[in-house]
Amino acid sequence: MPPLEVWEKVFVKDAEFLQSTHGKVGCVICHGGDSQEEDKELAHVGLVIDPSDGDCNTCHKDVAQTHDASLHGTLSGFVSAFEARGGNVAEGSPLGTVLENHCQECHTTCGQCHVSRPDELEGGLVSGHKFRETPSMQYNCIACHGARVGAEYLGQNEGIPADVHWTQETMLCTACHSQELHGSGDLIESRYHNPDMVKCEDCHQEVWTDTEGNPQHEQHLSDLSCQVCHSVAYKNCYSCHVAIDEEGMPCRTSEPSVMQFEIGYNPLRSSERPFKYVVLRHVPTCAGTCDYYGDVLFPNFNAVSTWKYATPHNIQLSTPQNESCDACHGNIELFLTEEDIRPDEKAANKDVVVDELPEPVGN
Amino acid sequence: MKRLVTAVIIILVLVALAAIGCTNKDLVGPSPEAEPEVVSTCVTCHTDKDTLKELATTEEVAKSEATTGEG
Repeated sequence: MPPLEVWEKVFVKDAEFLQSTHGKVGCVICHGGDSQEEDKELAHVGLVIDPSDGDCNTCHKDVAQTHDASLHGTLSGFVSAFEARGGNVAEGSPLGTVLENHCQECHTTCGQCHVSRPDELEGGLVSGHKFRETPSMQYNCIACHGARVGAEYLGQNEGIPADVHWTQETMLCTACHSQELHGSGDLIESRYHNPDMVKCEDCHQEVWTDTEGNPQHEQHLSDLSCQVCHSVAYKNCYSCHVAIDEEGMPCRTSEPSVMQFEIGYNPLRSSERPFKYVVLRHVPTCAGTCDYYGDVLFPNFNAVSTWKYATPHNIQLSTPQNESCDACHGNIELFLTEEDIRPDEKAANKDVVVDELPEPVGN
Repeated sequence: MKRLVTAVIIILVLVALAAIGCTNKDLVGPSPEAEPEVVSTCVTCHTDKDTLKELATTEEVAKSEATTGEG
């Protein structure tokens, strides 16, 4: 998505904003600078471009505080993944520097969802200066989550249909993902540990309460995640490496992504997610992802699989694997097996690789 | 006696209203000598497309050209 022109980023095109609650506060209260100075440079002395890290707290204390502990606010997902592999993320350590140089770009402030485009799109006001209670799907959510989830949802991967929630209902991201985005106020390990995380059954309760006439649901509701039967091929990424380039700028490289569909054993099995089988997505990481910053930064790399619990956003009622029982049973193409794992990742994925395929049942 | 009490109450109410009127600025109308409203230069510039275009300077985008692949 191309960035806005420089002037466009700061153009308050909607005069109505000035009469809104936020507009009446005045510019300087939030942004600093000098509102009486006519010279541009002098007027901008002390300017705060994105004041939302502190100022929202004044009026929106509850939500601002939960945001401060959320994944969007803390990037604790990166930290927990590093630490689970034995990484030391202390400030000033090699991995602490990695977090600072490469991961912080994903940090989201209140304003980067509700007022402007995120840094990933080089900023700029989304709707004049209007404060949008519901962020823009295109300019906020997909601006950051476009490579995998956004492309899946909108059907932008060649030959792969868009999600039915989009094609049939034009549902925006926030139709499902609302409170969970601000977090619960507790630091969490990943989005799958968020107590407010959306679940299919929040809307499709009848699937769980009335399985009569649907033998697949009768048989599989407790041992297969919904995506095993209702999602299709999704993007998998490999071999991401981060470094500092010759100009001193943080950079990253990765192999071209691959569209795959892989059913494996559930690495997050719990009472909330009792399924034996789930779909797994290969995340970009590898043992050498941070090698530029030091040797053996993940002494326990194999403690966490590189094929992760996944919820692809390309849901379909009918899929190749749910056409019949034997479209899935015994179909080795659908399952993550030893042969699908890269040699240096076999130990990390030993618990999610399917060692015994479900037997064909003859129909 | 009843009339006297009523008259005293009315006088007290009138005095109270007059006192409020003298102290509550919200009830005071604009003075003909009031200073003109101060216009924010932020609003003047940032609502004027032509001014913004005229004053815009090229931004240095801090992104590495060595980055490849999807994020």
